[in-house]
Amino acid sequence: MTPTKNLLSYSYYPGCSLHASAQEYEVSTRGLFRALRIGLQEVPDWLCCGATPAHNVDELLSLSLCAKNFSLASQVEGDLAVACAACFSRLKTTQHKLSGNDVKRKQVEKAIDGPVTLEKPVKHLLEILAKDYGLERLGEHVTKPLSGLKVACYYGCLLTRPPEVPELDDCESPTIMERVIHAAGAETVAWSHRMECCGANFTLSRPGVVLKLSNDILSSARDAGADCVMVACPLCHGNLDIRQKEIEEANGTRYNMPVFYMTQLLALACGVQTSRLGLESNIVSPMGLLKEKQLL
Amino acid sequence: MKHSKMQLSAETMNLGFVKKVEALSGSSVRRCFQCGKCSAGCPMRSFMEHPPNRIVRLLQLGQYERVLAGRSIWYCASCETCSTRCPNKVDLAAIMDALRKCSWDAQGPSKESYVQLANRVFMDNIRTYGRQYEMRLAAVFNMKSGQFLKDLMLGPKLITKGKLKMFHAKNKNIAEIEKIFSRIEEMRKQGEAQ
Repeated sequence: MTPTKNLLSYSYYPGCSLHASAQEYEVSTRGLFRALRIGLQEVPDWLCCGATPAHNVDELLSLSLCAKNFSLASQVEGDLAVACAACFSRLKTTQHKLSGNDVKRKQVEKAIDGPVTLEKPVKHLLEILAKDYGLERLGEHVTKPLSGLKVACYYGCLLTRPPEVPELDDCESPTIMERVIHAAGAETVAWSHRMECCGANFTLSRPGVVLKLSNDILSSARDAGADCVMVACPLCHGNLDIRQKEIEEANGTRYNMPVFYMTQLLALACGVQTSRLGLESNIVSPMGLLKEKQLL
Repeated sequence: MKHSKMQLSAETMNLGFVKKVEALSGSSVRRCFQCGKCSAGCPMRSFMEHPPNRIVRLLQLGQYERVLAGRSIWYCASCETCSTRCPNKVDLAAIMDALRKCSWDAQGPSKESYVQLANRVFMDNIRTYGRQYEMRLAAVFNMKSGQFLKDLMLGPKLITKGKLKMFHAKNKNIAEIEKIFSRIEEMRKQGEAQ
């Protein structure tokens, strides 16, 4: 096969989850971006962004871990593409906090023993698809429109809040996920819980929190007539998919609601081969639904 | 503590603490006029003994012990809904971070130990490996919290789905990562950072 030139190129920060519990997000992102000819070159030796636990108790550590990642990312050409909503939020927060605060910036420079480089734009994959690549061009690659599939687009917290940090879309009524999946031919539903918290990292410490909050989300999606939920964050996915059976048992109900990463659905629509969609890793099997809609 | 009578006087109000929280969080505490919008949108309020607007009111009244001793600050999910919606631009999510730091640094009494333990294990993981390995995270948390059977049924399923890696390597730059942690500790010892 002759190598084809990429239309766009990015440095890439996958984040810890994409190498483990969210491997289907990684696999389908690679598959989709290859099909769209968007290059992703992984930042060498990237480290954990610190996520919620670090900023919860130690802001300096949180900012320093992200600043170290920026310094590693400067070795690779291109804006920084980020898949995980939490990593995206932490990296953008670091840019936001350090660019206007010399005291903090100097402390972080001392902690990482080097200059703080914040110039590289940080972009969530959704932003790359909707803004840089463009919905029209994305639509041209759709060979298998997701006709008849009713999708509940779930934003969660950190893609849009607080509004001055992610600058991705409106903080109360965003549409970027809907616009992206409409380009792939799917229908979307209007529902109440698209921006409510799923319980986030309480999945480890206090899973009872997740059983309540994620139940509210799944029940809202079902009531709105959705066939499936679409997410762009590994933690949201873990709570809605991995814990779904437990949520059903705790609340005496049955959802059987597949939860897709947005790249899985887009890659499917763009004709990426099934083995590169990571569908076998979803805990709530989406196979029945996709066959019923004649998408597999 | 929750139901004990609150007497306000110069002796019982610690207003210096408000200034400390304002400095750490970069947000005003005093600007809050108790509209309650933060608590109306808070997904975690039903798990908290003090809803977010009351936390701010207690701080304004210098009652920080009540805040730190309870579990409310540890039940904040950092979803940022409160900060997004506050009409007075009080950054409550940042205030919660500052309060947790005060409680964490003082190793003071809090009723919520599991969340703190999870945070500790998470950060130890970064220091030791450079990245998170979820299998290790869950195993160490369960062991240290004495919940040996927690999520036992999930484990094998996640492994067969390829979601949990049994083996993992440390980052090549782990020595540099360790230095970030130790430099921060040293800066705090020298009083160069909070």
